[in-house]
This record gives sequence, C-alpha cells and structure tokens, in this order.
Amino acid sequence: MDVGAVFVVTTLARALAFSTPLLWAALGEIVAERAGVVNLGVEGMMIVGALAGFVVAQSSGDPWLGLAAAAATGAVAGALHAFFAVIVRADMYVSGLALTIFGLGLSGLIGRGWVGRPLDRSMEFVSLPLLSQLPLVGPRLFQGQYLLTWLGLLAALMLWFVLHHTRLGLVTRTVGENPAAADAAGVRVVQVRFFAVVFGGLMAGVAGGFLSLAYRPSWGQGMTNGLGWIALAMAIFALWDPLRAVLAALLFGTFFTLSFSLQDRFAPQLLTMMPYLFTILALTLTAFRKGGRAFGAPEALGQPYTRGER
Amino acid sequence: MIAGFRLEQRGSIGPLRTWALSLGAIVVAMVLTGVLFAAFGVAPLAAFATLVDRTILDARGLSEVVRRAIPLMLAGVGLTLAFRARFWNIGAEGQLLIGGVAASGVALFSGLPGPLLLPAMFLAGFAAGAAWGLGPALLKVRLGVNEIITTLMLNYVAIYLVRWLINGPWKGRSLSGFAYSDVFEPAAWLPTIGTTRLHWPTLTLAIAAAVFVAWLLTKTRFGFEVRMMGESPDAARYAGVDSFRTTLVLVLVSAGAAGLAGVGEVAGIHHRLVDPASLSVGYGYTAIIVALLARRDPLAALVTAAFLGWVAASGDVMQVALRLPSQITGVTQGLVLLCIIGVEPFLRYRLVRVPRNAGNGPDGVRPVPKGVQ
Amino acid sequence: MRRMVLALLSLLAVSVAGAQDDPLKVAFIYVGPVGDYGFSYAHDLGRQALQEHFGDRIETVYVESVPEPEVEPFIDQLIADGADVIFGTSFGFGDGMLAAAQRYPDVIFGWGTGIARAPNVLTYMADFYQVYYLNGLVAAALSDSGTLGYVAAFPIPEVKRHIDAFALGAREVDPEAEVVVRWLYSWFDPAGAKEASEALMAAGADVLAFTEDTPTVIQTAAERGYPSFSHYASMVEFSPETVVSGQIVHWETIYIDIVENILDGTYTSTNLEDVDYFWLLEQGAVEMGAAQGVPIANGFVDELTWFEIDHPELGATNAYDLVMTRLEQMSESRETFDPFAGPLLDRNGAEVYPAGYLPSIGDLVGLEYAVPGVVGPWDNEPR
Repeated sequence: MDVGAVFVVTTLARALAFSTPLLWAALGEIVAERAGVVNLGVEGMMIVGALAGFVVAQSSGDPWLGLAAAAATGAVAGALHAFFAVIVRADMYVSGLALTIFGLGLSGLIGRGWVGRPLDRSMEFVSLPLLSQLPLVGPRLFQGQYLLTWLGLLAALMLWFVLHHTRLGLVTRTVGENPAAADAAGVRVVQVRFFAVVFGGLMAGVAGGFLSLAYRPSWGQGMTNGLGWIALAMAIFALWDPLRAVLAALLFGTFFTLSFSLQDRFAPQLLTMMPYLFTILALTLTAFRKGGRAFGAPEALGQPYTRGER
Repeated sequence: MIAGFRLEQRGSIGPLRTWALSLGAIVVAMVLTGVLFAAFGVAPLAAFATLVDRTILDARGLSEVVRRAIPLMLAGVGLTLAFRARFWNIGAEGQLLIGGVAASGVALFSGLPGPLLLPAMFLAGFAAGAAWGLGPALLKVRLGVNEIITTLMLNYVAIYLVRWLINGPWKGRSLSGFAYSDVFEPAAWLPTIGTTRLHWPTLTLAIAAAVFVAWLLTKTRFGFEVRMMGESPDAARYAGVDSFRTTLVLVLVSAGAAGLAGVGEVAGIHHRLVDPASLSVGYGYTAIIVALLARRDPLAALVTAAFLGWVAASGDVMQVALRLPSQITGVTQGLVLLCIIGVEPFLRYRLVRVPRNAGNGPDGVRPVPKGVQ
Repeated sequence: MRRMVLALLSLLAVSVAGAQDDPLKVAFIYVGPVGDYGFSYAHDLGRQALQEHFGDRIETVYVESVPEPEVEPFIDQLIADGADVIFGTSFGFGDGMLAAAQRYPDVIFGWGTGIARAPNVLTYMADFYQVYYLNGLVAAALSDSGTLGYVAAFPIPEVKRHIDAFALGAREVDPEAEVVVRWLYSWFDPAGAKEASEALMAAGADVLAFTEDTPTVIQTAAERGYPSFSHYASMVEFSPETVVSGQIVHWETIYIDIVENILDGTYTSTNLEDVDYFWLLEQGAVEMGAAQGVPIANGFVDELTWFEIDHPELGATNAYDLVMTRLEQMSESRETFDPFAGPLLDRNGAEVYPAGYLPSIGDLVGLEYAVPGVVGPWDNEPR
C-alpha cells in the first residue's frame, strides 16, 4: 500500500473530524452575516451549547437529546444577540463580544458541578454504507467519523442551495445587501435578521455540542479554546459561501493535523500559522482577479437597519 | 411597536445626556451584579463597599486599576481613530504583540547603550505595530479586501510568531528551559511608581496619544477628512479626499498605538518576551470595546479604558475578598457591557405618544419621505 | 462593680485565647480552574487534605484561574485578607511572588515548581520521573507494535525528564522500544491532544502516555482500545477498561510537612533560603497508578505476569514482578535504584553520565538531553 496515499487519506480523515465544529459554527455565522449582522458571540454560544448538551446528555443518557439541548441553548443565546443587535439596534460588535465574555463566564460557573466525569453515553462513530467498502479510502475515511461530521457537509450543501436557489435565500441576501430595497419590496427586515442571527446561534450551539458529546465527551471550562473565533474567521475566508466554507474548514483542519503529524520536520507553530496566512493570500489573489472592487461582503454588513435612515 | 406609541429619532444628543444615560446603565448593571452576589450568599452593599475600598480607596489597588487600563488606553485611542473612518481594525491584539516583539528584540539584541534603549524600544514597537497594520490597510485601499478578516488573521499569525520565538530562536538561557526569552537588562525596564507595577511613562504616553488624536480629529484637515470618510464616503470622494493616503496614515497611527501598548507591557510588566496569553490578556479585543463605548472619542476612551480596567481589577477582589467563584468575573463583565449598550435606544430614540389612527409603518417608526435626510 | 470586672476579665480572656488560637491562614494560588481535573485540581486535593489534617489550627483559602502576570495583585488581596502563608503553584508565578516577597517580609511564600528562593520564599516540587519510568516498563510489556506514543506539553526539563524516564523504562523491557513524541506547546489543548494522539497512533503507537491537563488522550486511545496512562489526577473513570496505570501526585505530603514546620517554628520568614523540596516516591509525594492504591489496573495484571523477561540484573522474571521490584527499590531511596544512574548515553551516543554516577537533583532539574529510544523533535537538544 502506498505510504504517501495512506498519509494523505489519514490527514483528510483527521481534518474532517477536527473541522466539524468549525464548519457548523461557520455556516451559522455565514447566514447571520449574509443578513447583515456580525456575531462576535460565536465562541460564547458554542460553549454554552457545549455545556447544555453535556448536562442534558449526561442526565438523560441520550447524546442526541443533548444535541437538541445544545442547539436550543445556542438559539437562545443567538436571540439575545439578535435582541441587542437587530431590535434595539445597539452596537452589534460590543453585543457579540459581551455575549462571548458572558457565555464563557456563565458556562464556567454552571459547569462547576459537571467536571471530571466522562459522558456516560457519547456519540458513536458511524460507517457510511457502500463508501466504507472502497479500497484504501473506505476504512480510513468513511469509517470512524461521527455522524455530525457528515451531517455538517450535508448542511453546507443544503444551505448553499437555500441561499442561492430559493426565495428565502434571496430575501436573506437582499436584507444584507440592501435592506432599504428589501423593505420597500415588503420584506420585514427586522424579522429576517432576527431569525438569521438565531439560526447562527443554533448552529454555534450544535458546534459546541459536537465537542462535548462526540469529539471530547466531557465538560471542561473553556473547552472551546478559541474554536469559535476560528470559525468566525473561516466564515469570512469562505466569502460567505457555504460550499467554500467546507473547503475552508478542511484547510484549517488539514494544517492543524499536519502540525502534529509533520512535527519532526516543521516547527508546529509555523504550520499552525499557515491557514491564517493562506487566508490573506487567497483573499489577495482573488481580489487581484476581480479587479480591485470590494467584493463578497454583504453591502450592509455591520450596519443596523432602521427604516428611514439613509 | 406598542400600540399608542412610536419611536421617533432624536436630533443630536447632548453629551450630558449621553453621560447621564451611560451612568444609568452602569447603575443597572451594578444592581444586577448585586443580585448575582446575593444569589451566592454575599451581601451586595457590603460587597460593593469592599470593592470600592480595595480598588479605589486603596493606593495599591488603584494602581492596579490604572495599570490594567494603560494598554487599553493606548490601543483604544488608536482604535477610535480607525473606527472613525470605518476601518474596522480587529487586529489590535496582534499589533500589540508585534510591538512587544520589536521592543524585546531591541532590548535583547540591539546592543544599544542604556539611555537609548527605552526610546528605541518604543520607536521600534510603534513601527512594528504600524507595519503589522500596513498590510491590511494596503489590501483594503488597493484591492478592497475586507479588513476585518485580514486584521483578525494577523492576530493569529502574531500569536504563533511569538510562540515560535520564545520556544525557538529567542528562548532564554537563564530560565532552565522554560518558554520565555531572557530577562532584559535593567536599562530596558520601565520605571514604576513606588513598588507598584504602574509604569507611568506608558501612562503619560497614553494620555498624550489621546490628546494628540483628539487634536488630529478636531483641529486638522486630516482629521476632518477622516471624519468625512467615516460619516459619508460618497461626499468624501466627491470632495476629493484622498482616501488612499488618509486610510494608510490613520491605520499606521492606530496600529502603531497598539504596538506601543505592547512595548509598555513588555518593558513595564514582564521585562522579557512571554507567552502571548500572558503578554496580552485580551487587551486588543477589550480595546475594541473601549473605543466603541467611548463612541469613538479618543478622550472619552481614556475614561472607558479606566472603567474597564476597574471592572477587571474588581474581578480579582471578587475572588479573594468576596470568595466568589472565579467565573463570576466573566458574567459581571458581560452584564455590564450589555447594560451599557442596552441604553442605546434611549439615546437615539424617544417614545412619543401617538393617536391610534395615525399612519404608521409596521415597525412603528414613521417612514421619512424620500429626499429628507 | 464586681460584675463589670468579671465581664471585662472574661472578655480579656476570650480575646487573649482567641489571639493565641488564631488559625494560621494559608492561601493557595492556582493557575487554572480547580475543575481542570489535572494540575490545579490535584493541588486543591492537597489543600483539602491539609485542611483536614490540621483542622482548626489552620484556615485555607484558594483563588483559581490566575493569569501568571496577575499574581501580584492577588497576593496583595490575599495578604490584605490576612494570609500568613501563600503557596503559588505555577512556575510562571515566580516573578510576581519574588517581588511581592520583598514587599511583605513577614509572610511566608512557597513557590511550587520554582527555581529560586529568598529568606521568605521556599520552593517545592513533587516529581514524577520515577513513576514515568515504571509506566514505561508496563507500556513496553503491553505494546504489540513496540511503538509507544507520548503527547507532551512544552519541551522544558521537567517534561523531558519524564519522557526520558518513560523511555528508559520501556527499553529495559524491550530494547527496541520507541517512544514517539509530539509537542502541544500548551498545558491545556484538548483538540491538540486529540489530534496529536491520532497522529501518534497513525505512526504506529499502540500505548499512549501524556503530559496535558485533560483526559483527552485517554479517551482518544480508548476509541481504538489502546491502553493509556492517567496523568496527575485519577482519570481511570474516563476509560476503566483501557487505563492501565499512571501518575498520581500527593501534594499534601509536602504541604503538611511545610505547615508543620511553620507551626512549630522551624520555618520562619527569614530562614527559607535553602529550603527546597524535590520529593519523590520515597517521601510518598507521588504514586504510581490511575487510581489511589491501585498501581496497576487489575485487568492488566495477568498479561504483565505472563510477560517473561530475562533481566541482566534480576535474572528470569516477569514484567509485573519487575515493576513491583523497581517500585520497592525506588520507594526506599534513590541510591537503591535510579533509572538515570550512569552509565548513560543520550540518543546521539554522547555520554551523559559515567558509570557509577548518580545524577544530583540539580542535574535532573536542568535536564535537556534525549535518551535512546526517544523519537521526534526535541528543542534545545545538546549537540
């Protein structure tokens, strides 16, 4: 068996696993930002989702029930951000940051009683039918992953479809590009933005749930360890496109796992740095080709909308 | 909206009202925090008394509040400048770290004579921070690349760069293999007030920076251009403002200020290059909050920085004197911030009674006819 | 009048008695949360045992998640609250503690894992290297592939010492054993620990040991059914079937000794310049096992007993007996047996210690070399 091929496949498999929470959270952020709202609270929403998921799964014995709790908690956190950012039209950057700080503290506080025990029943690996029979890639890539990993890829596909080929997607994008026009066309901008942000929170909650229910089935203070911020960066790196988000996630995941598997050849910090430099490089190159216009970002991103203003 | 009322946009807001409402927000936050204290069995009034006693009435405690505020002031002031022009510099964290790296490099390897070291370190830190912001600035003005992401990415690059340096080429020989650089020679140490850790030269620098930026914004043509770019980019273009040059200069100043903050930390507190998580406890991100709470006014940033420094210092007291769990600090800080931004609508809008049959839009906000600004 | 005098006298008596019975206030500063189930958790267990041991004579408090540069303000707060003794449990607290010690010459400071002292600052350390050596013996006997994996934090002497000891133990059972090392450059990085474990297992490791503050490595190894070693705290519940053994620390042995000396006046705030604890198996400061009192998990004892070894020193024996013998020897003293005793060559073939030389504590504290069998990057390896 070709050692090089095995290495590539194994790296891809590990990248898939590591990138799962990043992908889920980034997809949520993409939807929120497409509607024009920046959510800097992703990290906080992830970690409260992780705690909620763990607590419910541990108490009920069902990790999927835990996941539902994680998603719900994330959605509630998202609703909080949406309240401040969309309804109250306060500073959305501070609102998001405040929620991250708040979420980290609150989860640490409530989680004190839940430390030190592993999850009794955690999510298990799944083997994809047919695909896992393939030579070489079958056992390495299509077995031994969590269901949430595959669901994440599916979610990316579905979101891409919804965003670009349905009316809901069009409405969402318009709200982010030109909310005044959307408003004139009868779209309830505030509502759309609100639900987009709640959705973003829900996805972040799922991402957190993945961590505490599958990837590292336990609870520890601060266990997200910055993944939420990376997901935020990834959403922008992916130019707000769900399919590119998959590629971005795999890129980050690949470099992360390489920083360990290639450690005897490259200093790990230099490898871990790569995805971030790569992001800038990729954006620059793409910008060159597009001829220097600001592109990709929803025009009204970061601006609260009030009818009658500008 | 609620039947019978509608929100009407205010005209301009007097600064007095702004401060009054912000103060009101803080009071609300204190009340909520008091409730939290009570939930943990700590009497709220006594708790606040202890907090004030330890952080304001005590000289050493006060010095710690100010010390924490110094990097927030410097970086925050820089950010007010950048945010005025709508250049969303999320990279203050990385610019701070790079400033620290440059200063460390000068302190450890430049071989400069004693008296020249500190000034050289500050210059190097400013230049390095500015350079770290230059890339994203160029990419934005030349190619339209979103600066939120480029500055954010460079934060991570800076973090890994520092880690690589202290574990590799700059690893100290004097510390039995732990991941720090060597300690700086005494000439590279910033003086502090008494036995506190308040490195006052950096504090002076921060106040000077605030005054300088305030002057820039209000009294110079450059500042006028910056403000115009921020409030109405079209009008700015029409008026012939060279947004390319203006953006570049303001980003250099903004990022350089963050770099100075890094120098202060390295030369005033640690006296060596340390792990990024120790060098900056999130100062770059907190500075964003400083600038936004100050409504992008550099002098107000001094106040908000001091306030946030006080909130952070209070966290310590809460753990020790009030025996509250350590995680309470995150909860209270988040609460305070949410309360402060929660008063926004009271600043921007006011509730006006309206007869039920008036023609309102579904949002309750009366549409302004086209053409009226 | 008489009643007033009596009242006054009794008040006086009570206050005097109170003053004499004033408990010694001992404060602990942790760098992480007590709930980390690793380093800070273990220190807190030590604190609780200390409190129980001395009862009313002392009063303990702790603060957690203290970032290293912030230790001084916390010390100020603790002393304002009346602390008489302060233990700072992380190396990074050193600067702040030494500076504070100068400002508070009457307070006694203990710098855990520290390297410098002062008249009122002592240092203390409970080191695992002997236990890692024992773990290595077990690991090599259980491994089918002969490749052992080690997920390490920082390339500092303490961790290097542990890895080397692990490898020395492994090679004693299997002269071809390899210990592959991957570095996290962090004490707390669960995602990194997971991916590093995966990388090690992909490289052929089928037994894992680690120095990281979470049980992630155990859980990751358990997914493949691979044995692993618990670190710092008793992590056996995270995978009862696959956790063989590990390292457990008993900080309370040191804390109790220190406080005892303070209470009876042996240690004062002026004579600590030479007080340095580097406690090992002999003093009971560390223990082999993943659960207290269980050096090797029951499920693995048989397998180890069936593993026959023809030992150059001890003759025909088996892995289990070898481990137990070494445990006994080292618990007696370092002179009876020490894995680092010369002759010792590093992995490049250079001589580190000549025959008959027993490395001093100082030698071990500054250890930078890698022993034969260690595979992987090794910062600052002596040429």
